[in-house]
Amino acid sequence: MRLLYKLLYILVLVSVLFMGFIPGSGFSSEAKETVTVALTGKYPPFSFFSAEGELIGFDVDVSKEIALRLDRELELVTTEWDGILAGLLVGRYDAVIGSMAITPERQKQVDFSRPYYISGAQVFIHREDADKYSSIYDLEGKRMGVVLGETFEHYLRNNHPEIEAVTYKSTFDIFQDMQNRRIDGFLTDRLVGLYQIEMADMPFVARGNLLYEERMGIPVTKDNIELLRLINSALHSMERDGTIEAIYEKWFGEGAQPVSAVIEPSTVARNLLRGFSITLFVAAISIGLGFVLSIPWGVGLNTKIAVLKPVLRFINDFLRSTPLLIQLFFVYFGAPQIGINLTPIQASIFTLTINCSAYMAEVIRSGLMAVSSGQKYAGRALGLSKIQVFRYVIWPQAFRVAIPPLMNSVVALIKDTALIAIIAVGEVIREAQSIISVTYNPMRYYFIAGLLFFAFTFPLMKLSGRLEKKIKERGYANA
Amino acid sequence: MLKIENLSFKYPGGILALKDINIDFPKAHILAVLGRSGSGKTTLLRCIGRFLKPSKGTVYLREKNIYEIDELEFRRSIGIVFQNLYLFPHLTVLENLMLAPTKVMKKSSEDAKSEAMETLERLGVGELAESYPSQISGGQAQRAAIARALLLKPEYLLLDEPTSALDLDTTNDFADWLVDLKAETTFIVVTHDIPFASRVATSGVLLEDGKINAEGSIEHILKNLTKKND
Repeated sequence: MRLLYKLLYILVLVSVLFMGFIPGSGFSSEAKETVTVALTGKYPPFSFFSAEGELIGFDVDVSKEIALRLDRELELVTTEWDGILAGLLVGRYDAVIGSMAITPERQKQVDFSRPYYISGAQVFIHREDADKYSSIYDLEGKRMGVVLGETFEHYLRNNHPEIEAVTYKSTFDIFQDMQNRRIDGFLTDRLVGLYQIEMADMPFVARGNLLYEERMGIPVTKDNIELLRLINSALHSMERDGTIEAIYEKWFGEGAQPVSAVIEPSTVARNLLRGFSITLFVAAISIGLGFVLSIPWGVGLNTKIAVLKPVLRFINDFLRSTPLLIQLFFVYFGAPQIGINLTPIQASIFTLTINCSAYMAEVIRSGLMAVSSGQKYAGRALGLSKIQVFRYVIWPQAFRVAIPPLMNSVVALIKDTALIAIIAVGEVIREAQSIISVTYNPMRYYFIAGLLFFAFTFPLMKLSGRLEKKIKERGYANA
Repeated sequence: MLKIENLSFKYPGGILALKDINIDFPKAHILAVLGRSGSGKTTLLRCIGRFLKPSKGTVYLREKNIYEIDELEFRRSIGIVFQNLYLFPHLTVLENLMLAPTKVMKKSSEDAKSEAMETLERLGVGELAESYPSQISGGQAQRAAIARALLLKPEYLLLDEPTSALDLDTTNDFADWLVDLKAETTFIVVTHDIPFASRVATSGVLLEDGKINAEGSIEHILKNLTKKND
């Protein structure tokens, strides 16, 4: 049994090594009527959510125009920037129209369309430091913010190792730390930077010339030559008839109307509550399914059955010793490679179910262990069958012992559900991020989101404590 | 009639716990299995109760090898009360008593309840029906556990060290009502409590190192025991 467990462990290690050598199979969904386009929805004015919750921006308008010219239905998918190419490669969407700079590094993985606009890397600093720094060369030994995975991060690391690059999830987080003076400047797209600073009314200014130009293109997978051809011809005609310029004018021109940064409190409340109800929905289903699965799993962990036990043990240990985030990515990005296309919600429920079931199975195993074997003999001596002994004698005791740690698993799972924002499930964190992308107030809305979790999990924790006390009073086996 | 023939039992570690045991247990008696701790008493009890399979030899009930008897029929014929009693802590005393009658004998819960109450009252612990095992004393738990076993109306009831958790007064009470009950059930009492055994038992065996050292009337066994101690 020990041997089998060890073999499984080695098998996983070996397969990890092997997978490093297998080239990713370019998987693309054959969209017939629709073209699915990904962007972050957190990059104003290129893509962001309006106060009404509508996805708008320069990239959104370009996407709409391209779909129109392709004579296809447009489906927009919002996803995190750092996983956006991974999603494209596994066929979650057909293209990314998200202001992605064309770089040789990215061109190894995907094919880009002709550029649809050109911008560049700009240094921004705090207005109070305007006398101190006149260009990037004055920032030696200082800390500069960049968004994780953007080209600016690579540029800064490769060309200015004398500056410490501090990575953030979004520009809003950078703004927060700029205000707190934790960083001395930041590097971002000139257009975006200027727009966002104005919108958020931040005391930051551009400094020095463009460090380099960036040409933005639309990536598709390498096997999608036909789509690339269609996109290129659409872009070409948009340039010729002035459509691209008109869209540019709309967002950056003299007459560009800044979108209102004010969101009605009722909209905020509605969006956050809607997000939180999705959080609870995903959590509740995962907990329910996870619990049902954990009973046979926990029983299996307690058996002496030769092959079954070490296999169950290994899966359990594996799940509990790898980060949930990685499991989530693995399911979401990995399932399409074996031909299973899960929606973000399905992938979340699947991952959370398996993950919380592993923890619950462990709790149930120890609950079963806590019931003295004499209880089993006493039940058998009374003529109860093996199943009856489990049903009426062992399980009720094991379950009572397991309730407090099970409640902890439930609370942990509800909190872990926040992670699914990363694969674009519109739960509470994602809703908060959308609101923040318009209001530029991360502290307030993350705090409210946190309070929603607290309001729900705190009573559960109290209840768990009370049950635990009650169970101790009753004096179960080893509880 | 319960009968043991040429029974030996060897634990997986190789320790021979019982060697060539032969005993007849006549009905409507209280029989004592005496011996020091480690003499093989509890092993013998577990062999009779079908919790340990003998390495050699056979236990017969009504002339049949107990392993050839239908399990349910066997359980209803031979009851067992373990030294630790093992009342089910998540159930009240009444629920403990009703579990087997309702789930095994498929009695209605009204019938099971009235029989359980009757038995509890007969043993003088009727007022404990709604208590949980953690709320009652050792002596009360002893009665509840025996009541639970008696409800299956077994021909034989095996009791493992029934007095180990009782003080002297409760032991005497217990001895009194055990004698009252022997008309309907034969008790096989495994004990090292000699005063108790001599008070309740009519006959018995003395085990030593897994072998029968003396058997017959309690007086005979006691004489044997005293001789040895001299």
